[in-house]
Amino acid sequence: MEYIKINRGIYIRLKKRTVLRKAVRNNEPTRDDGGSGRSSSYGSGGSSNSSSSGSNGGGSNSGNNRAPKGRPGTFVLPGDFIGTTEEFRSGDRTYEKAGGIYAAATGVTMVNAAKRFVSVIPETNTPPILRKGDVVVGQVTGLREALALVTIAGAEGVVDREITNVAPAVVHVSNVKKAYVKELSYEFGLFDILKAKVIDIKNMRLDTSEPKMGVVKAFCSKCRTAMVRHDSKLKCPDCGRVETRKISTDYGTGIV
Amino acid sequence: MSERPERFIIDGKRLDGRSFDELRPIKIELSPLDRADGSCYLEWGRNKVMAAVYGPRELHPRHRQNMTRAVMQFRYNMASFSVDDRIRPGHNRRSIEISKVSREAFEPVVFTKFFPKTAIDVFVEVLRADAGTRTAGINAASLALADAGIPMRSLVSACAVGKVDGEIVLDLMKEEDNYGEADVPVAMTVGEEITLLQMDGHLTPKEFYKALELAKSGCRQVYGLQRQALVEKYNKDYSVDEDDARSDAGGDSDE
Repeated sequence: MEYIKINRGIYIRLKKRTVLRKAVRNNEPTRDDGGSGRSSSYGSGGSSNSSSSGSNGGGSNSGNNRAPKGRPGTFVLPGDFIGTTEEFRSGDRTYEKAGGIYAAATGVTMVNAAKRFVSVIPETNTPPILRKGDVVVGQVTGLREALALVTIAGAEGVVDREITNVAPAVVHVSNVKKAYVKELSYEFGLFDILKAKVIDIKNMRLDTSEPKMGVVKAFCSKCRTAMVRHDSKLKCPDCGRVETRKISTDYGTGIV
Repeated sequence: MSERPERFIIDGKRLDGRSFDELRPIKIELSPLDRADGSCYLEWGRNKVMAAVYGPRELHPRHRQNMTRAVMQFRYNMASFSVDDRIRPGHNRRSIEISKVSREAFEPVVFTKFFPKTAIDVFVEVLRADAGTRTAGINAASLALADAGIPMRSLVSACAVGKVDGEIVLDLMKEEDNYGEADVPVAMTVGEEITLLQMDGHLTPKEFYKALELAKSGCRQVYGLQRQALVEKYNKDYSVDEDDARSDAGGDSDE
């Protein structure tokens, strides 16, 4: 997935966002929408608008020349009225109150016409939250017979801001690689830095079976020197000790 | 410290020439701090405040973590040079109280349940004080929270009302605050739900309701400015995109 750097070192998943933005802007159906015509089905949005503008009081700058509230592509702030629960279901970054749906973030509204969800795509920097499928980087802080305990230090695309839902993570032997693992200590060593994919957010289970996943930096178990890769093995430049690991294709490159 | 003026109201105007229901000028700048997750600098008359938001981030010590929601931590602090006489740096009785009430002004608004075991830290530094710093701090903190992308039910807008020379007036300035008869800071959401209400001095019930209505109108004006600041900062990006769209459309028609 491609990332674009915006201000302050914040990365955004480029593909999804630009696709969404363009679609919202051009009033086109997006992939999420299931292709049904959306522009015609929001006539009711305009009528709900009139009732909302009164309650907003001083918010005379809202919207400017944009589409009325309750229609996709409107710029909203926290507390802005988006629509009613009769029109939509409350999606990401929105909340329901007394039959109305309101924005909980600063951004642009987005409607999934197929499922009738209305959500807000944030324009601001947002707190990073780990989800299933995210790639994380961490250090092995414990080794059991069938488990490697990992302390997560960061995630792909997250710079500067602390991840809000990190927890001690675990790689089970069955998720280390596709082949048979005779002993976990052949695949991971204590203090190794590894890259892994989140497969379960509730129990923070990680998976390293993909070629890009695995150990990206390992330390000699005898002298703790950073090991150098020699084909499928790792060699200590100091004491010459050779060890095995589930090595990532990015081993030693420093690229996460 | 300035002398007590003989009269606060002369020919229906206040000391600085404002009418009874007029705010001091407000200037807002969003994200001035690079290292904060969200920040806001706000000038309100002669007040200057800076607000910074960090988090949600892991809370230490861990026994203070809440398994079901984020803990909000609010620090209101006055710089030692913010007033005429140098004040001793650090927390004092007054700043601890203001930190508490300001935190409580945000707790019903922020969706803390989305971030269990974390802390949301809000820091408000008063760089120059001239009456109404807690309301200025709340307004700045509200924008800093929005700037940090922390989910909220609404922005919070705050404004004070008071009584001088027997008249209910909006947004007290320093002399009115120091020598006036009452001071009522109010904070509320877009839906006019009050999250902060304090009263210093004396008002009759009738005067109080009048003051509250005036404070609400002040908060609405402040909200308009807060809204404008966020729209200018974050809608710009979008309007640039729209220009792109126009040129895209032009390109399409040429083909």
